[in-house]
Amino acid sequence: MKIKDFGKDIAHINLASGEIAKRPAPKEWVEKYVGGRGLGVRYVLEAGPEVEPFSPENVLVFMNGPLTGSEVSMSGRWACVTKSPLTGTVTDSHQGGWTGARLRWAGFDGLVFEDRAATPTYAFIEDGQIELRDASEVWGMGTHDTVAFFQDRYGKKNLSVCAIGQSGETRGRFAAWLNEDDRAFGRGGTGAIGGDKNLKAIVIRGKLQKSEDLDAAEWKQVRRDMLDHIRNEDNITSPKKGGLSVYGTNVLMNVTNSIGALGVRNSQKTSYGERAEKLSGEHVEQTILVNDPTCHACPVACKKEVEIKEGPYKGLRMESVEYEPAWALGANCDNDDIASVSKLIDQCNDLGMDPIELGNVFSMYMEATEQGWIGDGPKLEWGDHASMVALTEEIGRRSSPTGDLLAEGTQLGAEKLGHGEIAMAVKGQGVPAYDPRGLKGMGLGYATSNRGACHLRAYVAAAELGVVGIDADPLAWKGKGELVKVFQDLHAFGDSMDLCKFSAFAQGADDYAAQLAVVRGEGFSADDVMQAGERIYNLERHYNNRAGFGKGSDTLPRRFLEEASTEAGSAGHVSELSQMLEEYYAARGWDDAVVPEAKLAELQIP
Amino acid sequence: MKVSFYATLRAIVGSKTLEFPIQEGDRVLDLAQTIVDRFPALHEHVFDAQGGIARSVHIMLNGRNIRWLPEGAETVLTAEHSVDFFPPAAGG
Repeated sequence: MKIKDFGKDIAHINLASGEIAKRPAPKEWVEKYVGGRGLGVRYVLEAGPEVEPFSPENVLVFMNGPLTGSEVSMSGRWACVTKSPLTGTVTDSHQGGWTGARLRWAGFDGLVFEDRAATPTYAFIEDGQIELRDASEVWGMGTHDTVAFFQDRYGKKNLSVCAIGQSGETRGRFAAWLNEDDRAFGRGGTGAIGGDKNLKAIVIRGKLQKSEDLDAAEWKQVRRDMLDHIRNEDNITSPKKGGLSVYGTNVLMNVTNSIGALGVRNSQKTSYGERAEKLSGEHVEQTILVNDPTCHACPVACKKEVEIKEGPYKGLRMESVEYEPAWALGANCDNDDIASVSKLIDQCNDLGMDPIELGNVFSMYMEATEQGWIGDGPKLEWGDHASMVALTEEIGRRSSPTGDLLAEGTQLGAEKLGHGEIAMAVKGQGVPAYDPRGLKGMGLGYATSNRGACHLRAYVAAAELGVVGIDADPLAWKGKGELVKVFQDLHAFGDSMDLCKFSAFAQGADDYAAQLAVVRGEGFSADDVMQAGERIYNLERHYNNRAGFGKGSDTLPRRFLEEASTEAGSAGHVSELSQMLEEYYAARGWDDAVVPEAKLAELQIP
Repeated sequence: MKVSFYATLRAIVGSKTLEFPIQEGDRVLDLAQTIVDRFPALHEHVFDAQGGIARSVHIMLNGRNIRWLPEGAETVLTAEHSVDFFPPAAGG
């Protein structure tokens, strides 16, 4: 496998005509946008920001990073990029496991799916060849049965299957792609674009290959440095010692609960009190944890596989109980039953849906029930997890009027009920698990994210919770504008390298620069990292501006701006979003939410 | 005073919440020493080389990290304080 050739082997697959062509990415695009997220966005921009998401003109791009498939730790990720049917922005999502690596080993750096197949189709990829095959036998199956079907047909060895479930097939606006390890392209509804294109699955047979074209000593040093950072016992990534490794992301449940940044009942409250413990990583570790799965080339093993041994979900074995879905389907819905949360996540995996969005949909609907706004439709009370489980099936299949309504997502669903104000969403996407009143930088990150409310575009929680070298008071708004910009740019680069986001807990811009320098065979500095990240962030924002997101489009729900927290460490606080935006736009050099022409020229966009 | 421990710190003390004796006027620093006296394995997690509170421990008083309180580790404890000890935590 030649690492330095990254970008050479991009397959363009026209699903209508069946034509498949291998073309290199323009050299300029790879140089400026790196790979993964950035390169994927550049391809999506080429299709035109004005296209309708559910149209043959929208493209569905799967893109590796330059190190995907290599021996570098945390490199086992790849990106899915498209115009989102949930938000109308460009969106990118990232999946772990082995699928991206297998694509590289099978001879491709990326896939660009164009147009729409006439009938259910899957792509089979092996040894530098791609074939479009009939998927009618698996259309209608969940992702678990789809994976099993293809493993049975092709054998499990060296095989990856990335598939949509019924939610994608019915164009549920927050449908996801799942692979054989239940790793997801979770957010933004990329699975719905698959369904719209009649693309059911991507099946890849790729045998492990070693990198062969790099300077051996430099390459070894880069890999060793990365591993040393991850293993450092001062880092949360330290295998079997750091909190992230031992408890997974759900180590956060008790933290955000303590500081008053854990939304409860559709963010009406900001702490779950003593009940947060029942959803926490500590409780999972003591009661239902059975395994710590991992991804290709990663020693952290942050995934948490659980088995339910009693109650209505007895016999369920699934992964992974993460902080975000545990909050969204748990505390957010006033549901403290971890077994039902595990069941709901597993349903999302199988139906192929984003559990964060599902949780927001439920909490919105529960508040509408509380307020008496449902009319004759079925009611959903806070914490009624049995009904949540039943309704999840209806949402995944759009098999009832309520399921059909809620498959539209948090914002559209609330608007159809006549009460858009109870949607805790930004640009149409439901909020994640960090309440903006308790972690103010995270709130600014949600508002200015280019893919709708997102905790990963700018994970300033790392600074606001004091786990990296920067300390930022979570309750202070000053300084958050610059801080969010820095995190956004760094993460944009990391996502374009498609190294796991958690690499940012173990390394900084200098390290990312050294890794890309070895790949490119030329110097690449920390400043280059930040400039590339800034370019990628502005490219996305430029796309969104052209898609209709102009001045005033960076917002937060009114609840976070006007209803003060009454809980724990954040009592009395609201989000001072307008002040933070002023700082942020100044740091960005933007005219409100719009990238001016001068900035585009400065960054050489597009 | 009741103190709650989380994640890898809980694994060391063996329980979520424990009671520790404090005297009037005790500061956070004094409570930390009392805790470490009972659980010496916590020392490297709670104190730095200079005897101050380590950067790697996050001590919350009523949900507020002491590093953001005006008196920090010198804050005098009262019966109304809830106290949580966390190791570093972040995620997705």
